[in-house]
Amino acid sequence: MDLFRRLFGKSEEELKTMDAEEKTQPLSQPLPAPVVKEGAVVDIDSMETDKLPKTVQKSTQTGNLPSIPDGATRPLAPEKAITSFNQHLLFGQSTDVGMIRSNNQDAAYSFFVTNRSAEERPDFGLFVVADGMGGHHDGEKASAISTRMVASQIINSVYIPILTGMNDMDRTPITEALIAAVQRANLEVLNMVPEGGTTLTVVAVIGDLAHVAHVGDSRAYLITHEGAEQMTRDHSLVQRLIELDQLTPEEAPDHPQTNVLYRALGQSENLEVDTITRRLPANSRVLLCSDGLWGAVNNHELVSITMEYSPQEACDKLVALANTRGGRDNITAIVLKIPK
Amino acid sequence: MPETTQFSGTENTNHIEGTLKANTMLMERYRIMGIAGGGGMGTVYQARDTRFPDAKRMVAIKEMVIPNTNEQVRQSALKNFKRESDILASLSHPAIPKIFDISDENDRAYLIMEFINGSDLEMILNKTRELPIEKILEWAIDLCDVLEYLHSHKPDPIIFRDLKPANIMIDSLGKVRLIDFGIAKLFTTDHRKHTMIGTEGYSAPEQYKGDVNPLSDIYGLGATLHHVLTRRDPRLEPPFSFNERPIREINPKVPPSFIAVVEKSLELKPENRFQSCGEMKAALEAVRSRPSMSAPSVSNAAGGGQNTMLIGQNTPAPAPQSTSFFDDMGGQAPSGLLEPRWKFKTEDEIRGGPSAYKGLVFVGSYDTNMWAVNLEDGKQVWKHHTEGGIAATPVVDSSSGLVFFGSEDQVFRAVDHRSGRINWTFPTKGRIRSSATLAHDHVFFGSDDGKVYALFGANGRLLWEYDLGAPVRVRPFVTNEVVIAASDEGDIVAIELSGKRKWATRAKRSINSSPFVDMKQNICYYGSFDGFLYASDASSGYSIWRFRTNAPIVSSPLVQDNTVYFGSVDGTFFALNAENAKERWRYTLEKPIVGSPVLRENNVYFGGTDGFFYCLDAKSGRELWKFETKGQITSAPFIIDNMILVASMDKTLYALPLFS
Repeated sequence: MDLFRRLFGKSEEELKTMDAEEKTQPLSQPLPAPVVKEGAVVDIDSMETDKLPKTVQKSTQTGNLPSIPDGATRPLAPEKAITSFNQHLLFGQSTDVGMIRSNNQDAAYSFFVTNRSAEERPDFGLFVVADGMGGHHDGEKASAISTRMVASQIINSVYIPILTGMNDMDRTPITEALIAAVQRANLEVLNMVPEGGTTLTVVAVIGDLAHVAHVGDSRAYLITHEGAEQMTRDHSLVQRLIELDQLTPEEAPDHPQTNVLYRALGQSENLEVDTITRRLPANSRVLLCSDGLWGAVNNHELVSITMEYSPQEACDKLVALANTRGGRDNITAIVLKIPK
Repeated sequence: MPETTQFSGTENTNHIEGTLKANTMLMERYRIMGIAGGGGMGTVYQARDTRFPDAKRMVAIKEMVIPNTNEQVRQSALKNFKRESDILASLSHPAIPKIFDISDENDRAYLIMEFINGSDLEMILNKTRELPIEKILEWAIDLCDVLEYLHSHKPDPIIFRDLKPANIMIDSLGKVRLIDFGIAKLFTTDHRKHTMIGTEGYSAPEQYKGDVNPLSDIYGLGATLHHVLTRRDPRLEPPFSFNERPIREINPKVPPSFIAVVEKSLELKPENRFQSCGEMKAALEAVRSRPSMSAPSVSNAAGGGQNTMLIGQNTPAPAPQSTSFFDDMGGQAPSGLLEPRWKFKTEDEIRGGPSAYKGLVFVGSYDTNMWAVNLEDGKQVWKHHTEGGIAATPVVDSSSGLVFFGSEDQVFRAVDHRSGRINWTFPTKGRIRSSATLAHDHVFFGSDDGKVYALFGANGRLLWEYDLGAPVRVRPFVTNEVVIAASDEGDIVAIELSGKRKWATRAKRSINSSPFVDMKQNICYYGSFDGFLYASDASSGYSIWRFRTNAPIVSSPLVQDNTVYFGSVDGTFFALNAENAKERWRYTLEKPIVGSPVLRENNVYFGGTDGFFYCLDAKSGRELWKFETKGQITSAPFIIDNMILVASMDKTLYALPLFS
């Protein structure tokens, strides 16, 4: 069977002629408003939210919808019209000093851009959690400086090129850009706050890919209904002992050196940065948090709260829960909700 | 609640000022000259003993702060201090400074001891670029000697606990002296649970569980030697990660026998280390007595046997890539024992790989023929002659029974799998070296005319062609959305199934390694002549990471269980974590690897230009077996049923049995 007919329900020739017709239509033709029966409840979540090409593919099975070639705007079936264009990542962010400490040494940063146009430019998000440490105000300075630094670096080296479309051919791999940004932030901390240090967990979302760069014991989780997967590895002595079978995970919380890190920003000029890239499943959540949260809230609670509530509500509830358990440390959470 | 944080590098700064000013008299006898150092837990002063006015006798005075929170704590700390100094005073060893006196005034305790004129090893490391290996070996032997002395103390052994360069002085005669005995630790108060950066770096794993024994000092000595030999500070590295920084790679001047001693002392399990400092000392002395002590390590490598005998049987293999030679698990069938089921000889080199379908095996040869042989016995069934050499791997369409392949005569062909008779042909304007991919009822391939072609499989009708402008020799990868191909100019392009460009990007040099898309993650991997393996988003082309090897990559990557497998012309076969390009393992041959791997179950198979065909454990990189052919292997093998088909430049196709 012809490839085009199989995929698009039309032959190559048919598609070509259609293409020509459609290009005569104005690109800015407004979409028809969704037709909703009076009294009917629109369940946003159950709506078809596939990306455009998939919608087109699906349409061949029902045969109801015409195919849509590149760059052309066509009326879509009303119930599919809005959500497929407008679904994007949602995020929430919450940080709290906790119940015992006098200052908040955590820093949190969220940046998200979505755009829809004839040009395909992916949505971009940048999320950072940093947990500072050091006497006086060194900890909060270190986390603030490193967060600001890493954000400006990544926006410059990763986001601006996406926006301008420049250097599409010779772009530095994203992972390398993230590592360079974290290392630059490290030098900045060494310079500006020699007595301070900080953890740093960075998640850059491009389209539906999450690129994580990480140092220290803040964490990034990928959460689905099946559970919470910790994407980052703690750079702590205790974690290292567990990895080498010298300590069981059950013994870990009681270990006297549970808070000893072997890697953090502000420690030395050479900083090794962990990275990981993940495609984010539809309707999954990403949680970035400091140890003030993960040390107080168990995985089961992380899953149920992030999956049940909107991102901002989830952040607030998680922080509140950590506070009810004593709030011994600063608590920070950023939750991303990936569209269905 | 105080929120101060303690940093490894700065923990002494609070103490370094001390409380005693220069010219102060202590115990009406010692005139403070100045601060000698802030090592360990307290300040060390240099002072002059005024009891000998003309002798200019110097002493070191260590000052420690007595906790004053609670009288009971204070009394017990002082009692311990006195008991420990009693023990120290009873010691007599050239590497242990003599204790002269103790005292306590106000909230400070003082230990008056021999002044050592010299520098601690940490300072020496900071101030030098290289130290003679012979010297380090001598210090190591002397340190074993003093530790053995301490460990044999009666009634209880003395454990030093905190061996590290900062606690080892090198005196003006170049001899080692141990300073900063655990005594100072009596005065440390419990730290609150604050996040701290930096670990001790030199301590054995069991010390973190509160289990300290003489074998912990052996680990500490090993860690110290590792630091001195590699100049990599363990406090800046993950704890217990010495084996990730092999001495052999960082400092090739260190004899393997010395390395073996250090590695054994760094075993995580105490029972795998030397069981006494005496044993370790003997091993080090044996290193010293060998004539090749300072010779380059290559010549020493041959003497590894002696070395193994010396330090016991459970010595780990020194290099990860040679673990296979020491491994007894794998049923390592020595080459030659593996008998091919059959061999089939063509008339010229076989550069492409074989395929099989319905009891037949198809392989193209540079002798210009496509050969079909019987899968059971390797007997020829038919051959199809072309006007040029065949370098591509044939592909069979199971629905039509057609075998697709291109030839250097520029023509792409579909022949019947039973007869080899031509079904259709498609001419291009360049030699065809690209293997084809069959997907969506279409066949996709590239040609040296710079184009990627999409033909309808049943009749060869052209669906579209896409011009990359330079020879396309890779096998296109087809997903549900795009066809990914690459050119000799290094351009890589994703073509929509409609023939339109979806995205394009570029490597620095030619791409001959066929792209592979991990369909689960929709991430595309390919190698280039620039030596990098690239990972990019298959839906946008955005580059995610790249991994550098030391030579071009021609071998096509393969992904399974989040691991990318490929070989490099630098002779190394790699297994990388697909998510972050971290190396899981590597396996190195003497010759380049250009052939592509194939995976089945837990094994990875590939051929080398050394003529060997390898079977490795995919998880560990352990060699399970290898098979020797008489020519280079440049293609991917093909697995069918319980056989693996391997083509070699020795003109021969081998059918090897597979056991699972």
